[in-house]
Amino acid sequence: MFFPVFGVPSPSKTGKAVNAAVQPVDPMAHLFLDHVSVHYDGQAQPAVTQASISVQSGDFVVLVGRSGCGKTTLLNVAAGLVPPTGGTVTVDGKTITSPGADRAVVFQNDALFPWLSVRDNVSFALKLRGLPQQERDAAATRLLERVKLDGIGGKAIWELSGGMRQRVGLARALAAEPDFLLMDEPLGALDALTRERMQTLLLDIWAANSVGVLMVTHGIDEALLLATRIVVLAPGPGRVVWEIEAGFGRRYVGGEPVRSIKADPAFNQARAELEDSIFEGEAA
Amino acid sequence: MTLSVEIGRDIPVESATERPDGKRAKPSAKRTARIASAATIASLVLVWIVAAHFKLVSPVFLPAPSAVLWKFYSVATNGFVDATLWQHLLASLLRVFAALLLALIVAVPAGIAIGVSAIGRGIFDPIIEFIRPIPPLAYLPLVIIWFGIGEPSKILVIAIAMLAPIAISTAAGVKGASLDRVNAARALGATRSQVVRHVILPSALPSILTGLRIALGAGWSTLVAAELVAATRGLGFMIQSAAQFLVTDVVIMGIFVIAIVAFILEIGIRRLECKLAPWAGRE
Repeated sequence: MFFPVFGVPSPSKTGKAVNAAVQPVDPMAHLFLDHVSVHYDGQAQPAVTQASISVQSGDFVVLVGRSGCGKTTLLNVAAGLVPPTGGTVTVDGKTITSPGADRAVVFQNDALFPWLSVRDNVSFALKLRGLPQQERDAAATRLLERVKLDGIGGKAIWELSGGMRQRVGLARALAAEPDFLLMDEPLGALDALTRERMQTLLLDIWAANSVGVLMVTHGIDEALLLATRIVVLAPGPGRVVWEIEAGFGRRYVGGEPVRSIKADPAFNQARAELEDSIFEGEAA
Repeated sequence: MTLSVEIGRDIPVESATERPDGKRAKPSAKRTARIASAATIASLVLVWIVAAHFKLVSPVFLPAPSAVLWKFYSVATNGFVDATLWQHLLASLLRVFAALLLALIVAVPAGIAIGVSAIGRGIFDPIIEFIRPIPPLAYLPLVIIWFGIGEPSKILVIAIAMLAPIAISTAAGVKGASLDRVNAARALGATRSQVVRHVILPSALPSILTGLRIALGAGWSTLVAAELVAATRGLGFMIQSAAQFLVTDVVIMGIFVIAIVAFILEIGIRRLECKLAPWAGRE
């Protein structure tokens, strides 16, 4: 395996200021998929075999790869929704067997509850914990501000656009105050413009909340822009073929505009290499 | 019953006006249907008036519409077989709603059990499938032998007819709950019972309300059977008493009252659906 580093400026230029943007988190939480295999019943070959992925607080790990390479399966394993048939999943050394509020999930089709208002959707995790209505509403207002949806708490879910729904889904996940945010193509269903704004929102929230992120995407630009580490998977059976460190997201968090990051020749070069690695995985 | 079926078919017809290309079909389709309905009703009433006026059928078998209307007024004010129309109606409504309450208490939990657990399905599925096809007149004697000829038997007969539609609809709604939503709730820390309470039950609510609508239809059709034995009041009892004395105008009037009340209940449940499950059909 190779571990090249994309987009991190050399320390002699702007290094310190950029690296300081993401503060080390204390206490560090560590989600570790250790040689995980998943073989669904009745399938000829495993969906995923021997995949190891490590996510710590402050990491933004992005899974990329062609369809059928087991990205979503791995995310569901990390969430505790799919039990691995081989290997283990641990959080801080403890094996996990079920979903938990420490690992909140954001789904592609938002999976919001249409019978609840936006506000009650956001504070759902707090309702489960038995918090009184007043505290839940206060938390919902705060979280909606954080995803830039102030003042829509009273609306019904079906009144929202796709981008708004996805942000409500994000706020609902954050309400659980998770150590890890697991996102399955959260921006997959959005139009290009909304998608770009959501990407920067994700980076802002990641930087402000000291969470570890594990995200699945089809977008190569998206992976490069967001990730601190990109994990490339190949299908047949699904497996990890490459891991790449990337630093473009940190540069955004450090204050550099997205336009300038994407205009950097290093970004284009990294994209070409990443595309090659996905292509190699396909050929193998 | 026919009325409620027609109304039930209204929903898909309306949604079908939303064409795949995104444009709405001309509203004239709906208007055409309405005009056809009005014309049908008008011609049926006309045939009835003509047949009665020229005595094509003996008035004993087919009284004139005016006679039926007059009976409506006279039974409403003076009563028939010792009770006014409103007292008959109230007695029947109380029976139907008491039965509905009983059926909901039993069938909704049973439907949830069928939907969420293999054991629940194993226990309740055969019972529901056994009860479902049996006509009320068949189990009426047994219910009377077991529970006597009082009010509980009448309510029970109606309730049994309501069990299957509610349980089956509830189970379908529970099975149709989105897996993503269930998983989202679990990932937010929900326990199994919290998932049932906060995700599966609300997901199934539109289905449960549909079941309730079908059950009310089934309840009304069972009413006459339930009031066959030892009733002193009720629309079904009124119709049967009238039939025994060949008071055909009261029989026809009673049929119309049952149809009109069913129609009003149907609209009421539609309103309830809009209020309780406004998201249904919007996703």
